[in-house]
Amino acid sequence: MRFTTDQQTLDDLRLFGKGGDGSIYQQFNRTATRGGAAILEEWFRYPLSDERHINERSGIIRYFSGTGQAFPLRPELFDQIEQYLANQDERSRLTGREQSLKDRMSGLIAEDSEYKTIHQGVVALVEVVHVLRGIDLGVPAEKEGFETLLAEPVFVELSQLPFKGKLPYEKVVAHDTQLRFRHRDSVRRLLQRIYVLDVYISVATVARQRGFAFAEAVPKGRLFLELKGLYHPGVPNAVSNDLTITPESNIIFLTGANMAGKSTFMKSLGIAMFLAHMGMPVPASSMVFSVQDAIYTTINLSDNLNAGASHFYAEVLRVKKVARELSLGKSLFVIFDELFRGTNVKDAYEATVAVTSAFAGHKDSIFVISTHIIEAGDVLKERHDNIYFTYLPTRMQGTKPIYTYTLEKGITADRHGMIIINNEGILERLKSGKPKITKNRLV
Amino acid sequence: MNTFADKQTLEDLNLTGKYKPGSVFSLFNKVQTRGGEKLLEEMFRTPLLNADEINRRSGLFLYFSKTPYVFPFQGSAFAFVEDYLCSGGQGSLLSTLVYLARKRVMFAVTKDEGFVQLREGIQASITFLRTCRTFIDGFDVKDPGNPFISEILDARAILHDTRLAGILGGGDLNSLVKLASVHHLLTYTMQKEMEQLLSTLHQLDLFIAVGKVAAQQGFSFAQAMPEQEYIFHATNLRHPSLEKAVGNAITTDRYRNVVFLTGANMAGKSTFMKSFGVALYLGHMGFPVAANDMVFSVREGLYSSINVPDDLAQGYSHFYAEVQRVKLIADEVSNSRSLVVIFDELFKGTNVKDAYEATLSVTAAFAEYRNCIFIISTHIVEVGEALRETNNLQFTYLPTIMEGNTPRYTYQLREGISSDRHGMMIIEQEGILEMIRR
Repeated sequence: MRFTTDQQTLDDLRLFGKGGDGSIYQQFNRTATRGGAAILEEWFRYPLSDERHINERSGIIRYFSGTGQAFPLRPELFDQIEQYLANQDERSRLTGREQSLKDRMSGLIAEDSEYKTIHQGVVALVEVVHVLRGIDLGVPAEKEGFETLLAEPVFVELSQLPFKGKLPYEKVVAHDTQLRFRHRDSVRRLLQRIYVLDVYISVATVARQRGFAFAEAVPKGRLFLELKGLYHPGVPNAVSNDLTITPESNIIFLTGANMAGKSTFMKSLGIAMFLAHMGMPVPASSMVFSVQDAIYTTINLSDNLNAGASHFYAEVLRVKKVARELSLGKSLFVIFDELFRGTNVKDAYEATVAVTSAFAGHKDSIFVISTHIIEAGDVLKERHDNIYFTYLPTRMQGTKPIYTYTLEKGITADRHGMIIINNEGILERLKSGKPKITKNRLV
Repeated sequence: MNTFADKQTLEDLNLTGKYKPGSVFSLFNKVQTRGGEKLLEEMFRTPLLNADEINRRSGLFLYFSKTPYVFPFQGSAFAFVEDYLCSGGQGSLLSTLVYLARKRVMFAVTKDEGFVQLREGIQASITFLRTCRTFIDGFDVKDPGNPFISEILDARAILHDTRLAGILGGGDLNSLVKLASVHHLLTYTMQKEMEQLLSTLHQLDLFIAVGKVAAQQGFSFAQAMPEQEYIFHATNLRHPSLEKAVGNAITTDRYRNVVFLTGANMAGKSTFMKSFGVALYLGHMGFPVAANDMVFSVREGLYSSINVPDDLAQGYSHFYAEVQRVKLIADEVSNSRSLVVIFDELFKGTNVKDAYEATLSVTAAFAEYRNCIFIISTHIVEVGEALRETNNLQFTYLPTIMEGNTPRYTYQLREGISSDRHGMMIIEQEGILEMIRR
């Protein structure tokens, strides 16, 4: 079973960007090869769901991040090899017979482009094999993987060819048959390994440059999450926060004024959890987490007139989706930003209390809920002991609000909506404008 | 550049967008020709700001919605002929002949398809012109009500041009000389006329398509009035993209320029507001509207705030994004622009006390601008109570009728303020709490 998620979550956390600007995928995508980029995307599409695989992957990336190993092969080699392998037409297979006069003639006038591609592909593979045999990757699993593959006769033979330079026609003929047809699968496996290596190394480089940490996964069972120095990777000079979640505090009840940073904090938490389940480095100084079954966030929900759903109903359906997953016995990581903001405050109050109370019964899932309705917090505090109340404070300097973006314990009663409106001078502007028709002229 | 409505408004109302499901554009985009579609896009991009121009254009659509004319061409066939006719010809008959002869030889030697395509283009164009002549001749030239008559007469003159008579009458195209002379005539000698003819057809395509949508959907045509009247009136106003939409009547003028709308979730507040915005926008385009008896004063712009997203990249929370939106509109309004403004659930991204204060103060300040229309929906009924004494507000609500435990919505506006709320009931109906507790 995979760690599951949905489109809403991918959009909320901006894991894949529209137009590729600043999405989390884009921040990590520094691969040298196109094949590497495709694999990284696959990692993003299918996060892992057991701690062994997660720790294995993050261990390898951590190793490369430590050694500072650069991708050892020239990226353009892979365009040549892919182009070469793409031609599976049996008729293009080179034969050992002497070149006919016609072949030679056409070879003299214009170089046969098909042969050129084949020659280029074989030469590129020779270089790949030579380079790979010459380096020590350090990671035992990787090292053995490559060694086993390279010990196959087809690659051993390649390694006996000269490193660089043109190959004679007969040699190309012999190896073409081997590489492109008989042992095609081995070549594909080798490429796949190299592409994965590319991802490991490029992700490791990003981790090193940006100072990301490597999360440690612990098995499912008892819920645990410990984050130190967590921040949002897309926000410049982001402020970091610490957070520990256990079954005794698995509901995070987050309050704070507008603009105090609630959404940003929740997004950074969601991003870290998602990345951690991929075995990727996380924007934090340290992270330990128990593996969950799925992640669902609800941050930027829009209504859908075509489906006949109001904003509130869209939220209700979203809660229902989470409820269904919970009823199947899954352990989830759930974020609700401004739960029930699509309805009036009285409904929102009742609904927030009822839903949060029901969530509190699931101690193997994490629920992060932000709200403006501070009254709901007061009631929940009475009823449950596994809710952790935290807020993002606002400090007033005269009439200017200052935000610390640092979590504090408790519930806040900060309200600065009117202050923001006053700071923007909206009412003054309206009062100073001259309406085309006024009350007086009406009389 | 659309000066009438900005991107947020266009998205809120789902107006433009060829590939967006349910967009108003796609509702009307039943044209056959690329030129027709271009005209349609252009009209969606630039609503008219002058009552006479609007009424002139809506007159055209009205005429074609009432007449049974059918556009006789399919999109792909039309495009093929259009490409041929606009391909450009050679300067003289002799060079045309040489050009064709060379293509003919290339065809014989290297199987180059250029010659075949050219011949097909010529043949298709002749068929096209024949169909065209029948189509244009089908218009009654003495019809005094046809507002497009001068263009049709021009097209008629082109199609009955003596130079075309020989070609359209029949005759084979087997000889290269004959082929060359036709090619030269169509793509060079009569190039201007052909372009004019195509342009007339693009327009007819659009008029007929829009007229047909109007007739099929039961849309009607609004009457535009000068801005100074500051009036809006419509009955049976509904959302054009919804089947079985319920219609409502609404009137605003300088004495009642603020519509204060309340009602439960799902009672249809947003849909009503969108219907209003869409009708106003289409009205300014001279297009048919999903309403009856609509009369409106021309305004300078339409602004809505329905689905305002937050913008983390710019550091905007949902609330701040809304505040910025209100500020933008306040700027425009205070610069003496006559606007129509739609605020759906203002300030819902904040706590209730702030939302109350903010909605109240902003509504009161905007209401002074009686040259603008404001439609403001909210759940905070207390704001309505506080504004009871402001005499240019009209209070309307969308009711909920309870049948046992099931809410039923009439989608029909009533006068007054509603404190209906059924949020918990909806949650209970979905069985969510039981599901979580299971």
